[in-house]
Amino acid sequence: MSESAEHLARTPLYEEHLALAGKMVPFAGFAMPVQYAKGALKEYTHVREGGAGIFDITHMGQVRVQGEEALDFLQYVTTNDVGKLVDGQVHYSALLDESGTFIDDITTYRISADHYYLCINASNRHKDVAHLQAQAKRFKAVVTDESDDTTLLALQGGAAQKLLQPLAGCDLETIGYYRFAITNLLGAPAIASRTGYTGEDGFELYLPNSAAVDVWRALVAAGAEPIGLAARDMLRTEMGYALYGHEISHEVTPVEAKLMWITKLDKGDFIGRSAVAARKEQGAQKGLVALKLTDRGIPREHYPVVSGGRVVGEVTSGMHSPMAGGVAIAYVEPALASEGELAIEIRGKAVPCERVKTPFVRSNVRR
Amino acid sequence: MSIPADLKYTKEHEWVRIEGDVATVGISAHAQEALGDIVFVELPEIGRTLAVGDGCAVVESVKAVSDVYAPVAGEVIEANDELSGAPESINADPYGKGWILKVKVSALGDELMDAATYATFLEE
Repeated sequence: MSESAEHLARTPLYEEHLALAGKMVPFAGFAMPVQYAKGALKEYTHVREGGAGIFDITHMGQVRVQGEEALDFLQYVTTNDVGKLVDGQVHYSALLDESGTFIDDITTYRISADHYYLCINASNRHKDVAHLQAQAKRFKAVVTDESDDTTLLALQGGAAQKLLQPLAGCDLETIGYYRFAITNLLGAPAIASRTGYTGEDGFELYLPNSAAVDVWRALVAAGAEPIGLAARDMLRTEMGYALYGHEISHEVTPVEAKLMWITKLDKGDFIGRSAVAARKEQGAQKGLVALKLTDRGIPREHYPVVSGGRVVGEVTSGMHSPMAGGVAIAYVEPALASEGELAIEIRGKAVPCERVKTPFVRSNVRR
Repeated sequence: MSIPADLKYTKEHEWVRIEGDVATVGISAHAQEALGDIVFVELPEIGRTLAVGDGCAVVESVKAVSDVYAPVAGEVIEANDELSGAPESINADPYGKGWILKVKVSALGDELMDAATYATFLEE
């Protein structure tokens, strides 16, 4: 491991990753496994083809919001309509700044009318928490950063529920898509949420750190395949799911990121609302497109998108999909968002591509 | 890590098998291991003239793009087209089915290492 790796944080599962020959790399300040012994492709295939993969995503942050005005506070700082959530429901949402651009994309869990739980990106944790705590001063709401105490596992793939059920203190079948249960796993308190980032059925499991190793080992022993960051990104990109730092950043608003479906302009005032409304009126400054190469090659992040010999955009996520071939998500000039020839420049050569709809491959989430 | 004794190696982890005036070139077991699952190989055009150190192929894994540099000078006389459909051969058999190109040699690179030297180089 390199010298810089010594400063990296470790999740409670660090030793488990090493024991499974995880190749550890720096990621959002943590040492995380990019792949295990079998390699990213086999890991990917296991999740896509009906198995269950287990992912340590403890690097992500968790924030609890409680108080009489917790709902009002979250309506003001997040884009989605928190008033529509019922107990046990979770939705995708975002934090914007006043200019309407992204601070982060998040998920919001409603535990009860005055009690919510947020999952935030690892790389944005401190920024998000500072922002939330500053904004919370105007509300009767308390914001607590629980990231350091919480282990987050994702168990994804067709076999996820079957593997998880013997550990769980509730009937998992009763948890619908984007619903969660406050339950226990091997006796430890846990949130089991039917959510994920792979396009497969499965769960995200929030646990106290003290339970991490037992739950991980039990799931691995039951046949869950450990999955590293490389396969996770393949699974994510094939679904066309946005990732902070790629499709989402402080340079774009939900109008550009095609995330108006989580941005409810009519729910009342929220941070960034007027800027987003204005941008919606003016039109997107960049067009987000999903592209598929019609010739051989692998598009990668930052590769130029060209049209008529001119650079018109940039790839934000790109990969070789075992099922769909060379696929990419890119921002291009707005005029080229829906028509006009596009190619991705790979090592100086313009490889033609066509616009496609996401997901690039079929999603198997439970609707 | 396998390092066949009959091959020469470069610091960039290519291997060369020299038979008469033909050099077969691939990447070492160490290189494929470091790259991980290889999913794409860009092969050179037949007839292209290479100088030592020229980029002559590109190997892409799930996460990384890696250039293959010519360990010898000469003319490309063959490329392993099988890799287009089965790039994973480089992972499975880097010194056999995973060969990348053949060159009619006009000059060898100055810095080619024998197997023992390459083994030491990898340890450093």
